[in-house]
Parts: sequence; C-alpha cells; structure tokens
Amino acid sequence: MHIAALAKVVPDYEVPAGDFELAGNRAHSRYTRMIGLYDENAVETGIQLKEKYGAVLSIISYGSSADVPILRKAIAMGADDLSIVQGDSDDPFVIAANLKMAIEQMNDIDLVLAGQQSADLDRGVVHAILAEMLGCTFLAQISEIESGNGAWTVRQNHENGSRMLRLSGRAVFSITSSPQNVPRIPAVRAIMAAKKKPVGKLQGIETPPMQAGEVKVEIPKMESVCEFLSLDDLGQTAKTLLGKLREERYL
Amino acid sequence: MRVPYWNIGYGYAIDLLAFPVLVIFLSGLYNHYRKIRKGQERFKKSPDKEHSRPGPFFISSVLTKGILGTRIYRKFFTGLAHGLVFWGMATLSLGTLLVLADVVLKLPVFSGAFNRWFMSFGLDLAGISVLTGLIFFLVRRLFPPDRLVTPKERKGLFPMAGLLAVIIVTGFLTEAMRIKALGPDPASFIGNFVSGLLPAGVLSTTFHRYLWWLHGFLALGFVAYIPYSPMVHMVLAPVNIALADPRPGPKMGVIDFSFFDDEEEDPENSPALGVAKLGDFTRKRLLDFDTCLWCGRCHEVCPAAQTQQPLSPKKVVLTLAELLAANRFTDELPEVLGSDAIFSCTTCAACMEACPISINQPKTIMQIRQNLAMERSELPELMSKAYNSLEQRRHPFFGTGSGPKDWQKGLDVPVFERGKTEYLLWAGCVATYDERAQKIARAMVNILSHAGISYGVLSKPRCTGDPAKQMGNEFLFTEIARENIEEFSDLQIEKIITLCPHCYNSFTRHYPELGGRYEVIPHSVLISRLIASNLLPVSSDGSSFCYHDPCYLARRNHIEETPRQVLEAIGNLVEMPRSKRESFCCGGGGGNYWSEPSGVRINQVRAKEALDTGTDMIATSCPFCLLMLTDGVKKYTEDNKVFDIAELIDARLRSG
Amino acid sequence: MKTLIIEKIEPKKIGELVSVGKILGGEIDILALGEGPIPGTYGRAFQCPDIIGANLVGSVAELVQKNGYQAVLLSATTLGSELAGRLGARLGAPVLSEVIAVGPDMTVKRPLYGGKAVAEFKIAANPAVLTIRRKYFEPATLDGQTAPEIIRIADPAVELLSEEPVLTQGVRLEDAEIIVSGGRGMGGSDNFSVLREMAGLLHAAVGASRGAVDEGWAPQTMQVGQTGNIVAPGVYFAVGISGASQHLAGIANAKCVVAVNKDEEANIFKRARFGVVCDYKNFVPALIQAIREEQ
Repeated sequence: MHIAALAKVVPDYEVPAGDFELAGNRAHSRYTRMIGLYDENAVETGIQLKEKYGAVLSIISYGSSADVPILRKAIAMGADDLSIVQGDSDDPFVIAANLKMAIEQMNDIDLVLAGQQSADLDRGVVHAILAEMLGCTFLAQISEIESGNGAWTVRQNHENGSRMLRLSGRAVFSITSSPQNVPRIPAVRAIMAAKKKPVGKLQGIETPPMQAGEVKVEIPKMESVCEFLSLDDLGQTAKTLLGKLREERYL
Repeated sequence: MRVPYWNIGYGYAIDLLAFPVLVIFLSGLYNHYRKIRKGQERFKKSPDKEHSRPGPFFISSVLTKGILGTRIYRKFFTGLAHGLVFWGMATLSLGTLLVLADVVLKLPVFSGAFNRWFMSFGLDLAGISVLTGLIFFLVRRLFPPDRLVTPKERKGLFPMAGLLAVIIVTGFLTEAMRIKALGPDPASFIGNFVSGLLPAGVLSTTFHRYLWWLHGFLALGFVAYIPYSPMVHMVLAPVNIALADPRPGPKMGVIDFSFFDDEEEDPENSPALGVAKLGDFTRKRLLDFDTCLWCGRCHEVCPAAQTQQPLSPKKVVLTLAELLAANRFTDELPEVLGSDAIFSCTTCAACMEACPISINQPKTIMQIRQNLAMERSELPELMSKAYNSLEQRRHPFFGTGSGPKDWQKGLDVPVFERGKTEYLLWAGCVATYDERAQKIARAMVNILSHAGISYGVLSKPRCTGDPAKQMGNEFLFTEIARENIEEFSDLQIEKIITLCPHCYNSFTRHYPELGGRYEVIPHSVLISRLIASNLLPVSSDGSSFCYHDPCYLARRNHIEETPRQVLEAIGNLVEMPRSKRESFCCGGGGGNYWSEPSGVRINQVRAKEALDTGTDMIATSCPFCLLMLTDGVKKYTEDNKVFDIAELIDARLRSG
Repeated sequence: MKTLIIEKIEPKKIGELVSVGKILGGEIDILALGEGPIPGTYGRAFQCPDIIGANLVGSVAELVQKNGYQAVLLSATTLGSELAGRLGARLGAPVLSEVIAVGPDMTVKRPLYGGKAVAEFKIAANPAVLTIRRKYFEPATLDGQTAPEIIRIADPAVELLSEEPVLTQGVRLEDAEIIVSGGRGMGGSDNFSVLREMAGLLHAAVGASRGAVDEGWAPQTMQVGQTGNIVAPGVYFAVGISGASQHLAGIANAKCVVAVNKDEEANIFKRARFGVVCDYKNFVPALIQAIREEQ
C-alpha cells in the first residue's frame, strides 16, 4: 500500500484578528509558517495507516522549496519521504494539476489523503479537483479509515452526524480532525533523522487557471470595541440585543 | 589510676576482632560502591576523551551540611536528637580509640585531669546524650509523623537505633560494676549513679566481665552491620553532600546535541535522551537514592504531594532506591513511576531545599521527564499544545488573543539599538501574550522611562525557551536559546532586564553553557536599586503587602530581600508562614501552568495562605505566579488583590 | 442566469440557496437529494434518492451540460465539498467555495485566513460552481411543491453502510452554534437552570467556566476554556464570567461574545461584542422573555 498525504505550508493560522495584516492580498510574510491544521491530521491519519497496514507514506507538497524545513516535520512524525512541487500559484486547478503530476510520477499511489481545507485560503476544493484529474473517487470529511478485502471502509462526518461508507479502488479522501487523529509530536531523534532525509524536488508545470479572477482582498472591519447596551429597561435591552444579533447574522 | 582491661583476661582480643569487623564493614561499603558505579560518569564529555576529569568536591558543604548537619536543625527537635547521638557517638568513639592508644602506645589517658574530665565525665555525658537522642528516635518511630511513613517507612532504622541503645546501656552497666568493685570515680556521674542503684551483694566483678564482653561484641557487631543497614548514611551522606554542587536549584545543565549534527552518525544510534532506566542516571543520582533515609521532608514541602497529586518526591527516590537495592537496572522508569507523577513536578525545588543530605530530587524527576518528552513525545494534552505552539510560533501561549505588540499599544516603547541602548527589556512570553500579564510590561516601561534608563525591546518578541526545558524538551530549548544568543550577539546586547524569574534563571544558568553571557537583572532588583538611588519618588501609604516569593527567584537564586525592600518603600510588609527560600509554589512552574490539575489546586492553597495574613494586597514578581495567584484568589474573594511589584510602583508613580 | 441548486430536502438549506439563485437572477432548477416532496416552485425539479456526493458527479455533470446551467449552487457542507471540486474539474468550471456574498454580475466574496480577510472574485466563465456558506443568506420562503423527474444512479461507486445521527438531545459544546456559559458569578449550581432554560429556547449548548466547574456547579464536561472544551460558536453568551485568559483561549474562535457581568471592569468585556453591565439575575429572565416573544 502506498499512501500520499498532501501538505501545505501556511502562515500561522492562529494569528489573532487584531494582529492580522495583508501584504499583496495575502497574509503578511512576518507570520510564522507551519503545516496547515487539517493537513497535519491527514499526515497523522497516514502514519496510523502505515503503522496498521505496513504502508509507505509519501508527503507531497506544492509550494516554495524554502518551506522544505517546515515540511520535514511530517517526516519526523513518521512519513517515509517528501516531495515538493515547486510553484507559487494559488489557483486550485493549477495546484491540483501539479500534485497530479507528482502522484503519477510515483506510479503506485493507492490512496491520497488531504486536509479538509488549507489553513490559509480555507478553500477545500483542490483535493476534489485532483481526484477528478486522477479519475478516482473523492470523499469529503473522513475521520476514520480501514482497509480490508480490497476495499476502504471509512467514516464520513457531516452536519447531522456521521456515516460509514465503503468503496474500492484508488481514492482521494479529505481528512477532518477527530480525537483519533490529533497530530503526534515528533521525537527528537526523528526530527534529527528527518533533517538528513533527501527531498524530492519537482519543477512545477504551467496549466491554465480557472476563470475567476481575484479582484481584491480586504480585512473586514472588526468591531473590537464592546458595545455596552443601555440598562434603562432590561426588557428593551434584551430585544435590542436579539435584534442586533440577528442583524449581524449570529442567530 | 584506671587500668585498661581491668578484670578482663585476653582483653586485647577485642582489638584483634576489630580487624575482621573492618573487613566486613569495608566489603559492605564496596557493595554500595559497585552498584553506584553502574551509573553514568558525572562529567561525561565527548566520546574521544578517554578519561573524564573528577568532578568538584565541595569541602565547605561537607563541613556545614555534612558534619555539622545544619539542614537537620530546620526541624529543631529532630536536629537536636540527631546532634546528641552524632556528637555523643563521636566522643565515645574517640574515647574507645584512646583506650587503644593507652594499650598500644602507652598514652596515659587514664590519669590526671584528662581522665577526670574526658574519660570519666566527658564519656558519661556523651553516653547519656546518645541515649537521650536514641530514646527520642525510638519513641518517634513508634509514633511516627506522616512524612516518615508515607508512602512507606525505611526498614532497619529502629533495630539499629535499638541496638545502639543497648550498647550504651551495657556500657553504663559495665562502668557501674567496675565502680561497685573499685569504689566511686568522682567524675563518672552516671557510673556512680547506676552503681548506687545496684543491690549490695551483687557479684560485681563477674557481672563486669560478662557485660564488658557483651558490650564489646555488640559494638563490633553494630559497626560491622553499618553498611548493611540505613546507618550507612553516616558514610554516604557526607560523600553525597560533598559531591553536590552547593548552588541552589537542580542545576539541570544543557544537553550536547552535536552528535545529531554529525553527518556520519545515524541518529537512531545516539545515546538515550534523558533517563529511561536506572543505569542512565549519573553515579551521583544513584548515590542520592542509596543515601536517602526516606525521612519525607521533601514529601512534606512538595506542592504536588501536598495537594494529592500523583507525585511525591520521596516516593520517586525510594522507588528508585528499592530498584537499586534489588539490582534492577532494566525496568522502564516512566512506567514504574507513572508519567502523571513525572509531569506533576512544578520544578519548585522545595524538596531539594528541605533535604538535609543534598539529594537532587527535581533533577531525577526532570531527567525522566526529558525521556518522556524527547524520546517518546508523551506530554500531557495541554502541555503538548503549549509545546506545539512553542515549537511553531516560538511562544507557548496557544490561542492567545494578543499580537506580539499588543502590550505596547498607547506606549512609546523604544526598540533596542546596537551600540546605543544599554539595557534590553526582555518582556518574555507571558507579559507579551497574556492580557493580564501585559500590564507588568507596560508598568515596567513607565518605570524605566521615569527613571531615565536607556532601554529597548526586541523588534520581534521572543521566548527564552524555558517552558520547553521545563516540559522536558531540552532539544527545543537549545534550539531557541541558540537563536536568541545569535540575535543578541548581532545586537551586541550585554545587559538584560527580565520580567520573569524563569527567563532570569535561563539566562543566568543555562545560556552561559551555550555561549551567551550577559549581565541579567530581574525587574524587582532593578526597581529596588532605582528606589534606593531616589530615581523613583515613591512613599509609603500604609497599605500592607504580602509578598509571594517566586521559586525561581528566592529558592533557585536566593533573591529574597530586594523585592521586599521595594514593598517596604511603599507600605508594610507582611509574611506568610512559608516564605523566602521555604516559599510554597504557586503551582505554575515546570510547565504546569498548562496542566489540568487533579485534587486540590496548588494556587488556591497558596492564595488562601496569603489571604489569611489579612493583607491588603498580594505582591509577587513573576508573571506566572501573578496569573496563578490571581486565579487562586478568585475562590475566596471577588476583589483583585494580586499585583506585580512593577504594577504597584507604576501606580504610585502615576498617582504621586 | 440559469441556475441549478443541488441540495438535500431540507427547507432551510434549500431556501438559502434559492435566495442566492434569486440574486443571480433567471431560472432556478433544483436537484433534490433524498426522499420526499420537494418544497418550493422551480423551473424544473430533479430528484435523486442517493445522497452520497461521490456517486452523483457523473449524473450531475451530464445534467448541467445537457441543460446549459450557468451556475451550480451547493451548500458548503460535506455534500457540497464532495461534489463541487469534481464537478468543476469535470466541467472545466471555476469553483468557489464557502461563498458569503454574491452579486448579479457574478462577483462573489469568500473568507480567507479563518475569516480574518475576505476576497472578492469576478467569475468570467460559465458554468460556475459555488458552495454557499450556511447562515449567510436569509432562506427564501418555499411556496408550493414541484413534481420531480427522478434520476437514478446506475452504478454507485460508494456504498452506504450505515448512518449514525448525532443524538439530538442536548447540543455538543464543540459543535454548538450558540453557547450559553456561566461562571463563578452565577453564585450557585441551582442558578444554572436559568441558563439551561435559555439554551433550550435557542437550541444552544450550556457551558461553564473553570471557576464554576471548580465550585462543583457544573460537570467537567461542560467546561469551556484552555482546559476543557475549545469552542467556536456563532454567539457565546458569557454570564458571570470574568474572562481569564485561559477562558478566552477556549473561545478565541467564537464569532460574537455577549457578556453579562455586573463588574464593568471585567476582562470579558474586552473580548465581548456586546456588553450588559448588570446582575444576570435581572437580565437573563428578560432575555428569555424576549426570545419567547419572538418565537
């Protein structure tokens, strides 16, 4: 079994809103870079499958080779190898095409795992586009995976609960976070060993992007100041509060 | 004039018997030595260096803590009893040696004033002192305080103390029989008294002969058995004390990770990080375990043990001592001791401070924690979140609502400039990322500006890496420390003001070993100096302040008085029962700020202790203590009573 | 613009998508998934009993091509994300997910960086596939019903083994859209009943601060904060909670915090969007009354 886990390096997703700033329509470069939140869940899921079924786990990323030291964490966690497709596009079709190239070069990938969405653009579409390009099935929001009798049995989370699904053949799963796939902390000697692993570097390919141009990116005005409600008539205060919450779509 | 071996035929036989006894004694000691040798060398250097140099030997500690037993007197009556037995036995042993000297060297010890005042009066006094001390110990072992028996009591002390008491009593009886036969000896007040109690027709010379031999055999037996009983502490404790670096705190040092940087080496083959098995400890640690008498003074002061958490330093040491005694060097210590226990340590070092014989409990615990953190990556859930954040963002405050510069909002905080600024104001992670603690940094900025100090902050805040070290991950600590040292060299930083004692301790204790040497001053000490130089016009308003000593200032660095001077300048100081280097931890040390405590909360215990003084305000000088106590106080009062020293001074500068 | 809505038969979700369709203008058709009558009136309605997105791709793509839809609308749910990307790739159509605003000129907005930024796109081709974030569009009222043309999936790749719905009794803290949380200011465990009543009316979960849990007024499982549940509701009512940083760390991703506390200096007001400085014992009953009146 050969599994590929996709990982994207993103700016710190926990930067507090008050400290967030843009530079050239993207998060300012001053923020620390790290592997995306759900991508780490995907890597963890891959490692668990590796441990359970003796699979080989390859990490594939699309991005800048400057991010390789950050991606090595996935190796330290327990993945076998790391390849990076070098490119700087943000377009989901371009990214998917590049990832497809890397996966096809590996020739024997049985399963592709990806975080449910990247932790920067929060898009959650690249993996599905990739699945279509690879001509295989895609399932979203998977939290558990088992393999047996040539088929995958998986748990899919959805708004009203979860369901168990079965399918066979090559597949792409988007992985959601669950108590079972909390990313492990790599051990020190694994971190050091990971630093010495060779990294596969592939030159990215150019393909046409989707026809929807980004016009602008803005930081929404956050009302960080607390609005104190009048206390003259508490019944009225309550109504005002409910009105405001609905107005701003919180209720 | 007394005659040695009076009434005893072949009395020198007892001296000859001393030789086999000595052999038994030494072979017993050798057994201890052999076990301890299984530990790692104390100063293991790079593998190319064949011989390690001998470690330092601290003579003054041996004299004070070792011979005088200064720490024992912290429990006065125990100390006194121990002193009576120790000095009494020392005197009696000297007396016995002098008898030998009389026989062999014809030294006239049984004549004149020396006989009267030393051999008669002195030895009687010594004997009664020993007996008094032993009675105290024997009675206490029958009605033991909790610390002696929780979780268990060391076997062998009661019989040995009992045996010693019998030896003293037979000694007195022998003396009394001799006096009965030969007439009173004016200075032998005990001997005279006991002989007066004897019935008139007693066959004193016969009894004297039997008692003399009994006394002699028992004494030899006692000596021979010392290395096989807890009494061996009389040899091991001074050695253990001599080998313990007398600087306060566990002195964790830094780990050399250069092995991993070597391209040729396979990281999988490197030596174990931290301690997983008994043999991974240094010989000094094994000596610690071997020497420990299980007195439980550490258990009594440990914040974890006192709040029903799974850790007791006594239990850790005695468990390891039992493994050592049973020669079990293959047990996995994290399993034996439980990782819950290992992560409950707040690294407050109260146990070390209380230990009379210089056992380093925190280092023992931390080295096992290092193994859990670095080899197994097993951290409690919250700690692992903080660790992850520290690893990725270089600060442990995951989920913080603050950006790195939020604390500076509305203030004009200068950035450190190479060659121009004198002091680096090191805010540290807590004062940067926690909203409550940010007030400390803001207050300090005002104080420094007010006093006209040349200071600046880093353009990008950093962490010393100390939380990683406390959580057992030396590797991440070293990585962060090296980054900082590099940046400090670039900026030519020489002087650093710290707001957090944990940062202070890291900078002064661990950075030098990595090549970073700075003049570091805790903010409380700087404020005290500024007040002394009249640069901060503050005056007393009669409020009372109770000062909570941060472990990392008071116990680990002996900075106790200067923070108090600051408070005395603005009001009246009140003290908690446990203060200065016997302070009780807030519960936040050792990464336990990020813990889910079970049982009673340490911070609430400490907050209660502070509030019980009836103080107006609780002052501290550590941001972790501030947060822990602020939280702890909430259980008892709605008022916010906990402040950092800097906040208190700043408020008075503003109002005044 | 000719629009196809794809959604399970759940009126609120369909209603939201209809609202988006109306903004785009033009004819709205629906592919309704699951069993039952299709609420609302459409140009054409299709119905497919299979609800597994992965099995629908082929049929939906055919449907879009055959009928010349210019926009395909889905909710940003598991179903939506399972279908949208593959559909886009198969049709060569732009895909925009988690859309929170649309204009008739096919400009759409979607959040980036966990909502800390919003990007605007101009779609230059059709068809386009959009997944719409829930609760951003007022659901349209769905009048009448439309008789469907049934679509059956010939050879489904994915087999449904079982459905495990989450128990509806009580809302899980971590999933809750609304949380009503009480702190040490509640003054006693009995007082939590008023929070439970309010939560019941709002379909909200009840939480507690560490202080309240420490006092034994609420079980550990209800604890919100750094130690406890980390939550991300739309609205977080903090009642009698002072707002220690450990608590705030647990609600860092709450969108709107409403603080009720009698101490106006309480730290929670720094995090709150709306603040009510008074005793909760006076305010919460008034709020419950107001919610009742609305319902």
